[in-house]
Amino acid sequence: MLRVTKLRYGFPIGLFLFFYFDGVLGAAFPRQLFSVPYAMSSYLVVLWLVFAVFFEDNLQIPLGIWAAIAGGLFDVYYTGIWGIFVFVFPIVIALTKACYKAFPINFLSGLLVYFIDITVICTLSYFGNLVVHMTSASFTDMMVDSLAPTLAYNLAAYVILYFPVQWLFNRLKN
Amino acid sequence: MNKFFSNRRLVIVIVCLIVSFGLMSVSVAIRNKRSTPPMIQQFGNDVVGLVNRVVAWPVSGLKGSVTGFSDLMNTYQENQRLKGQVQELAQTKVHDQAVNQENKKLKKELKLAHSLTDYSPVNATVIARTPSAWQNQVIIDKGSAAGIKKNMPVLSGSGIVGRISEVNRTNSKVELLSNSSESANRFAVTIANKAGQNVHGIVSGYNRDKNLIEMGNVTSKTKIEKGDKVSTSGLGGVMPAGLFVGTVVSTGTDNYGLASKISIKPATNLSELSAVTVAIRQAQTTN
Repeated sequence: MLRVTKLRYGFPIGLFLFFYFDGVLGAAFPRQLFSVPYAMSSYLVVLWLVFAVFFEDNLQIPLGIWAAIAGGLFDVYYTGIWGIFVFVFPIVIALTKACYKAFPINFLSGLLVYFIDITVICTLSYFGNLVVHMTSASFTDMMVDSLAPTLAYNLAAYVILYFPVQWLFNRLKN
Repeated sequence: MNKFFSNRRLVIVIVCLIVSFGLMSVSVAIRNKRSTPPMIQQFGNDVVGLVNRVVAWPVSGLKGSVTGFSDLMNTYQENQRLKGQVQELAQTKVHDQAVNQENKKLKKELKLAHSLTDYSPVNATVIARTPSAWQNQVIIDKGSAAGIKKNMPVLSGSGIVGRISEVNRTNSKVELLSNSSESANRFAVTIANKAGQNVHGIVSGYNRDKNLIEMGNVTSKTKIEKGDKVSTSGLGGVMPAGLFVGTVVSTGTDNYGLASKISIKPATNLSELSAVTVAIRQAQTTN
């Protein structure tokens, strides 16, 4: 069904736009996002993918593949380490789909699902970096300095963008 | 649970895990050993970087107008402070020119082409920052086309902020001093004390909580005091000498009480970078 709607173009454009915003916002507002020792990592591209799971209805966008593409680009362009986000993003999308099937999604339950998603991303990327010796931070440091600010930032982004993106998807579907 | 971990799924999960770990270790090995990433990665990064600039443009415009307003608010105080500094600077500049000329003449007499302090600057703009807590890394809009090579030092404001970690054709990645990885900030530095004596050493780590650079394993008995200036020594690699790193904040002994550990305050605020300069050393390099 994706072929007949405007989402065919709208979804990839939104995906790439959110992907770039992740890096550009960090460069434009470093004092707000990366004040030592806290670091807010922006995962707007995941937000777009999760919104697509919520709002696609029965359009059947191949989200797993898109998530892998976005994750691969994230690895190559932003971190320079292959093999972390290219697997983490599809895992998160699969998790969101499983939740979507298990209970009805609305604004609040979606917020909780996204909370779990971000926690999974942070934890898995921390362990990935720990394994290849890119970080030596302890697990508690990770919780306080990275996970907590990242959750705050991304959940705020969810709250702000939920209704605009829902409106956008509805428009693009018709 | 049994159903979820059916044979087929289990195999897929294990294969994915193996591929993931394989990719990670290969990319880290490449990053540590080779001067440029593989061709495909370079090409991909160049294409992605091109669009990044288009997206970065309106955002930086928006940011410019916001900071412009806040700058206007404290213009008066800043002006007062700067007036005092300008007079001092004029004096230093004239003296600097005289010393520079003398240096040139002496070099000519000694038939020295380039010494360790000579470098040519390449200015670049920060177009993105890695959204990760584990890699304090920014992406700049100049690459190997502008003469940038891996491990070159990157300056911003009055001092050094990091080094080039990956070079593509038209953009490159900069690992900041504050990076928590184990090999990010091992710069060869020298501390000059008030008596004019030097202590050489290597930056050994970064204190995330206090935002200080640490220099460990110093066995020299030369007295180092708070406020002494730290600069690069130019020993080894592609680093020029005399780049300002920071000032000494405190000295103490390490955990074993044998060698001393020196804490250094970075010259530039590492979390505020918009334009940077890559220093290309002109003296012959070893690698």
